Parts: sequence; structure tokens; C-alpha cells
Amino acid sequence: MVLRSLQTRIIVFFVLLLCILQGMALFLMSAANERIAKNQIAQELVVGERVFRRLLEQNSQQLAQAASVLAADFAFREAIATRDEGTIASVLGNHGRRINANVVMLADLDKKLLADSLHATATQSTFPFPTLIESAQQHGRASDTVLMDGRPYQLVVVPVLAPIPIAWVAMGFVIDDSVAQDLQALSGLQVSFLSRSGNGSWTVHASTLPSASRGELAAHLGVPGATLTLPLAGEDYETRRSILHERGDVQITAVLQRALKEGLAPFTRLRDTLIALALASIALSILGSVLIARSIAGPINRLAGVARKVRDGDYSQKAESGRSDEIGDFADSFNYMLEGIFERESKILRLAYEDTLTGLPNRAMFIDRLEQAIQASRRSGEPVVVMMMDLNRFKPINDSLGHPVGDQVLQEVARRLRDSLRESETVARFGGDEFAVLLPVGGMQRATSAVNQIERALASPILTQGQPIDLGASIGIAVFPSYAEDSTTLIRHADIAMYVAKRNSASFTAYEPDFEQGKPSQLSLLGELRSAVEEDQLTLYYQPKVDLRSGASGSVEALVRWVHPKRGFVSPIDFIPFAEQTGYIKAVTRWVLERALRQCGEWHMRGLDVKISINMSARDLNAELPVMVSELTARFRIPLPLVCLEITESAVMEDPARALETLERLHQLGIRLSIDDFGTGHSSLAYIRKLPVKEMKIDRSFVRNMVADKDDAVIVRSTIELGHNMGLKVVAEGVEDHAALMLLTKLGCDEAQGYFIAKPLPPEEYEAWLRRRQEIGDKLTESGFISDRRP
Amino acid sequence: MIRSACLGAVFVAACAPAAAGTLSAIVTDAGGAPVADAVIYAVALGARPAVAPRPAIMDQVNKEYFPLVVPVQVGAAVTFPNKDNIRHQVYSFSPAKVFEMKLYAGTPAKPVVFDKPGAVVLGCNIHDWMVGYIYVVDTPYFAKTGKAGSARLEALPPGDYQVRVWHPYMKAEAALLTLNLAEGATGDASFRLELSAPQKVPPAEK
Ligand SMILES: [Cu+2]
Repeated sequence: MVLRSLQTRIIVFFVLLLCILQGMALFLMSAANERIAKNQIAQELVVGERVFRRLLEQNSQQLAQAASVLAADFAFREAIATRDEGTIASVLGNHGRRINANVVMLADLDKKLLADSLHATATQSTFPFPTLIESAQQHGRASDTVLMDGRPYQLVVVPVLAPIPIAWVAMGFVIDDSVAQDLQALSGLQVSFLSRSGNGSWTVHASTLPSASRGELAAHLGVPGATLTLPLAGEDYETRRSILHERGDVQITAVLQRALKEGLAPFTRLRDTLIALALASIALSILGSVLIARSIAGPINRLAGVARKVRDGDYSQKAESGRSDEIGDFADSFNYMLEGIFERESKILRLAYEDTLTGLPNRAMFIDRLEQAIQASRRSGEPVVVMMMDLNRFKPINDSLGHPVGDQVLQEVARRLRDSLRESETVARFGGDEFAVLLPVGGMQRATSAVNQIERALASPILTQGQPIDLGASIGIAVFPSYAEDSTTLIRHADIAMYVAKRNSASFTAYEPDFEQGKPSQLSLLGELRSAVEEDQLTLYYQPKVDLRSGASGSVEALVRWVHPKRGFVSPIDFIPFAEQTGYIKAVTRWVLERALRQCGEWHMRGLDVKISINMSARDLNAELPVMVSELTARFRIPLPLVCLEITESAVMEDPARALETLERLHQLGIRLSIDDFGTGHSSLAYIRKLPVKEMKIDRSFVRNMVADKDDAVIVRSTIELGHNMGLKVVAEGVEDHAALMLLTKLGCDEAQGYFIAKPLPPEEYEAWLRRRQEIGDKLTESGFISDRRP
Repeated sequence: MIRSACLGAVFVAACAPAAAGTLSAIVTDAGGAPVADAVIYAVALGARPAVAPRPAIMDQVNKEYFPLVVPVQVGAAVTFPNKDNIRHQVYSFSPAKVFEMKLYAGTPAKPVVFDKPGAVVLGCNIHDWMVGYIYVVDTPYFAKTGKAGSARLEALPPGDYQVRVWHPYMKAEAALLTLNLAEGATGDASFRLELSAPQKVPPAEK
């Protein structure tokens, strides 16, 4: 049997152990007891023999004493002295009866038998035991065990004194069962008397043994003196022989015995008690083992059960505790461990799937859910919408008010997002101010309403430290299965759409493949942009601006160009937004500033004063910028009015206060400032008016379509008027045809730039273009380009 | 054995006148030590002059017969005065004289007459250890040895005599001795006896 369970093994081990020990103890004890009992009986027999001998001796002494007293009786002596046979016989009989003698004999001093109570006719014969008389002559009396007529007698011989011996009286007492019983009562031994003649068979004369055993005793009798074990009638007797008489060929012996059973009796009782105790202890040990084993194995089994549950992720069960022993400690430790594991697992799960700041799901969880939604969509055909959302103007808030405020804003945004969407829809925070929304059902229709809800949710300012903060959001939307087969692509599409929305200052944009046709992956571009700056892959091109009144071209816009060693030309549209996102735009701006100003300085040294406009992003509008500009202009010895920084309306609006401060500093330096992309944002004119700008640029999107689109033309016209009303120089960009140029001139726009005039050019080409332009100045005049300006 | 015990060299000197003779006897035991309380008596082989027997006394002193041996002539009367302050009961089962006296104190009025020769063993019925001997001889010539083992018979008329010895402890009858005693002569007789230990019951009290 294979003892698999701990419980069974404990029980079997202890019970077997106990059985073996008890069995061995019993066996050894029984063996020892039998030996001890035999030794003890042997000892008892030796002692018993001495006692028996002594008893016999005392008996004969008493008999002799009695006989002596009898023999001293005067009447008896007188009768003896008469020598009258009849008288003698009767006095012998009479006096013998007084002491219960079974036989009385009288012998004269010559040992001639005078009378014999047993054999009335046996006179004149010799006394049959002459040695007894001789012994009595010496000792005054004598006794012996003798055989007469086949019966054993204890025979005593005493003198008849008158007062000197005149005759010998022998008195015999037959040894029968009652004598044996008396001796047994005194010695505690079985007593038997046997005799034999020569080497003949033994005869049992008297015995305390049951009659059945007597015959066997006669048959089995062994050597005298030695203790031996005789089986009599099925019972073992320890046996000892004691020779009472051995004269001639007659031998009389006493056999002293003790049943082995009697000797063993105390041991048997002890053994029975021990067996009972052993059985009881085995039973108790079985019970105890079962209880202990249960109390060990039971809780362990239950712990194992709990552990299995935990393995399957079920933490609801606890190990039973409350015991004060090791198992209780174990269970408690086990429970602590469970709690620890549970807490850590929850924490890990949270960390893995939850954004710790906002409590929203994180990117990993979002992707999980998105995967599930895509799976579901594959079955149901229900489109899945992913929206990526980025807060406008969050960065400056974070930078200026500190991270705690930024965190509060994010938390509030998270809360509002969560509240504005359905339960089945997922809002996740990917990091920074980037949020993602998963709409598993409803498609584009739901996306539109969700965008509205989000916009409404973010419309009211967020109050932090009593300061209202206005937040906008740019949302990019991508739909599965349109253009995307997997979650990664879907998220990327939403991301791209979001950048497009941001760039266009649109509240949301749905992804279109156009956004990235043949364009390299933006993410990798970021990394490469870094090395592009460091390895001088960037170059500056200069797009000329022309004065629409004079037709002269004294200013350019510096535009960064990236000639990638593998990809070739990379448009700023493709990397500038991302550079802005990552903050790397600062490095780019610094590079651009330095290059542009160096170029400006060079031209200035050669007597060519070119006003140079440089684009600034929102992130550039910090305290460093004025310092950097003044440092660079000083280094390249550029008159400050040659420098114009173009700032987009949206960049200013991300952090109006700081932007204003920076712009003021720049203005004080004498740097010219220009508002770029005017009209795309939502900034109020009142605010714009406060800015220390000298120039306003009309966004190319309006200029491009102004000839065909009346609305755009109205916007351009009103913008120009607005700019002029505010005392600003108005510059139009994106002039791509002659009609646009003519219209802008007509509308009173001050300057224009665009492909129709010139594409962005490297410095030397610009110089060439400039020379060429001088030469064809007339042609331009003819075309009426500057006709109105003619005085 | 008996013979060897009775080897007695008897030498009779007949130098004395026709006056009474004397017999001087010595008794020793097997080891040559003198034997007391031996009765030496001479029986005349010839004419026996009639001599009246003399009475004798066997005292009881300190719960013992005293003396141990009292030799008397046939027909002598013996008195048994009790010198103790307790009573005694004297008896004899000896064939020479069977008698039994009542318990008595002092001297009994009637003496006991011993009319047959032989040894009479005296016992006391209430003191088992008391043993005394009256040795009755059929001659007036007898004497008892003293501590020195010698005895002297006097006033013996000349003539032939059988000289015998008796002692209560002797193992066998000793050989007799015949001698002729001349007038006024002194005869010598010596006996060697084999004695056994006295058969006495040890006194329980005394
Ligand atoms: Cu007395």
C-alpha cells in the first residue's frame, strides 16, 4: 500500500511503532517472566523443601515427645514391667490411641519384638527397624519414615524408662493424604509421598495432587534434588524430590511441587493488565494520531485548496486561522501572504492597466480593450472609433503654474471626459496631456456627438487655486475598419489626425490617408530630427516677400528645410508639429535663429539689409527667447529692426500671459513681431490689439482660395482692413497665382509671399533672384504690379 | 571382651593366722581410671556362716538418690529418708524387688526389705532423672569402692571365695574371681570394667 496522505502515514507510523514496542515489551516480559517464575518456583521449592523437612522433623519431634510422655506413664511402665503379653498388648493399644498412633510396637533391650499392634502373632521376632533403636539409644529417641505393609509411616522409637531403659516403644503414624494436606497447608507446596523397591516403579502413597495426576507423577519421577518440570494431567509442575528414607532397597521420597501456572499467576495477571493497557494505548494512539493527523493534514489540505484557488486568481477564500499552534501561525502567515499577494497583484494590475494620476485606464488597457472591440467588430461589422485627444495650452499651464496644478487639471479633465462619455466607452490617458477615447459602437455618428460632448465638458474653465483655466482640445479620429487593420495602426491614425487637427486649430479631424501619403513615420522622424540638428542636415531657405506698393523685396521668411540622407526632402509640416510636441522645437528654433541671424549678419556686412522673419512656436515664447535673440543679434552685429519673429495666434493663446510678457520684452529690444496664420484661431481682436506686434500675416488657406471663394475674399479683405485699422502691416502668404497677387494689391495688402513670387531659396539663389528682379523691375511695373504705387 | 575385662591377677597371701582375713580390691575402667560405686562382694564357697543382714539407708538429697549405689545383704531392710522439702515417690520395676512407695516426705515408717539378690533400680515417679541402685547380694561380705576405686572386705573367715564385682554402668557381667583366703591373710583382687555412659534422663528441674 502506498501511503500517500500525510494523515495515513502519521497514523500508520505511530500505531505500528506502538504495536512493535508493545509487542516486543510483552514478548520480552513474557519470556523474562517465565524464566523468573521458574527460578522463583525453583527457589520456592528449595525453600519449601527445607520447610517441609523442618515440618517433618517437628512432626516427628512432636510425635516422639508424645511417645516419650506416653512411655513415661507409670501405669504404662508398670504394665510393661509385668511382662504379661495380654496386658502389654492392651496397654500398647490403649496408649497408642491416646496419641493417635496407627501402630505401636514394643521391643526389649535386645530388640526382640515383645508386642506389635499391627501383627498380633509376630512376637519373638526381631524389631524390624533395629537401627532406629540404636539411634534412640544414642539420642534418647529416634524417628524415621518407614514402609510397613506397603504403607509409609512416620515411626518414632522411645525408651521405656524405669528409670533406666527397660524396653523400646515404637509408635508409627501412617502418612496419608491428610498428612500431605497438612504439610501443603504449611509449606504451600503440592506434597506427595512415594516409595519403590530397588529400581521398581514408584508407588504414590499420599498426595495433595488430584488423583488423575498421581499416576503420571509415579511414571515421571526423576532424579532427586534437581528441580524439573513435570507435565501432569496437562499442567506443568515444577518438581523437587526429597528423599526421606533409603535403606536397603527401599526408598521413600517426598515430592514437592508447585504448578508453574501458580508461579506465573502474578505475571499472567500483570501480562493481562499490560495487554489491556497496550490495547488501550494503541486504541488511544490511533485516536490521537487520527486527531493529530487530521489537525495537521486537514488544515494543510484546506490551505492547499485555498492555494489552488489563489492560483486560479480567486482571493475570496482565506485559510482558517484562530489556532494557537504552528498550523495556526502558518495559516496566519499564509493569509498575510495572500493579502500581500492580492494587494501587490491589484497594485501591479493598476500600474499595468491604470493611470495612477487620473485613475483612467492606461495605454496598455486601452489597447486591450481596443483589441477586444476590434475582435467584436470583425464579427459584428460595427465600426470602432478611436479618438486621440490632446489639450491645447496645457504645456504652458504646467510650466507656469507647476506640476501640482497641471496634475489637478489633468484629473479634472479626466473626470469631465469620463462623465461626458457612456459607460461602455473607454477613456484612457496615454501620458502627458494625451487622452484616448474608444467608442466601440456608433461609428462616426457617435464620434461626432462624443466630440461635442467633450467640447462642452471642457468649455467651462477649470478652477485651480482660484484661477480659471481655459482648456481646448484637439481631437483626432480614426475608424476601424477604415484604413486600419489593427489597433496600432488605428491609434497611429487617430494620432496623426489629432496633429492635423491641432495644426489646423480644428477642434477635431478624422483621419484621411492623405495626411501621410508617402510620408515617413513621424515617430522615427523625431529621433532622426535630433541627429539632423546635430549633424547639420537642416538648412535654411529664404522665401522673399515683396512690397506690393513698391514692388521691392527687402524681406524674407526663413524656412527650415530638412534634407534627409535617405528620405530626401522632408517638409516642415511633417516634423515641426512633432518637434513642438516633444519640446525639441526649442533646439530647432535655436538652430534656425542662429543660422538665420548669421545669414542676416553676413548680408548686412555686405551691405545687403534683408529683413528676416523667423517662425517661433508656442514653446519658444519664454524668457529665454529675448535673451537669446539679443545675444545673437549682438554677436552677428545685426540692426535689430532687421529681425522679425513670427508668432502664430494659437501659440500666443496657449499661454497668453507668458506670451505677452515675452513679446513685450522682444518689443522692447526693438525686435519686430508678426502674428502668423491670423484668422485660424479664436483669439479675440481685443487681445491681439494688446500685443506689441507690427505685422499680421493672413493665413495661406484664405489666400489660396480667395480668388475663387467670395467668403475667403471677404475674410482677406476684412483682415487687411482690420490690420490696417490696428496699425499693422498686413502680409499675405500662399500667393500662388497672378490673380491672387492682383487682388491682394487691390485690397491694399502691404506685402506678399508665395510660390508665384518666389519659392523658398537658398541664400545665394535668393541673392541671384534679387539681382534678377532688379533687372526685370520694368517688367513688373508694366504688369501694373506697382502701378498704384506710382506717385 | 568380657574376658579381657576380667583379667585380674589375684594373689592371695596366706600368711595370716586363723583370724579373720581381709580382701582388698581395686576397680579400674578400661582406661585404667579408678571406678567408684562398684560393689565388690565375696561369696564363700564353703560353709556359709549365718550373719544377720544389716539395714541400710538410701537417702534422697537434692532430688537425687544418695548414694548412687547401696549394696545390701539379702533380707536387709532399707529405709528411704527424704531429705528434700518436697515429696518423692520411690519405685522399682526390677525383678529383684518390685515395689512402689506412696508419695512421702521425711522418713517412711516402714523400711523396704530386699529379699532377693540382684540389682534393684530405683526411680522416682515424679523425678524421672532420679536413679538409684540397691544391689542385693547373698553374702555378708561386700563393700563399695570409693573415689580411689578401692574397697576393702574385712572379717572374712578363711576359706575359698568367689569374688564378684557389679557396677550400674558396666556393659557386661564381669568375670568372677575365685580365691582362697588363709587365716588372717589379706587377699587382693583387681577388676577392670568396661563402662557405658550412665543412662540418665536429664533433669528437667533441680
Ligand atoms: Cu522423687
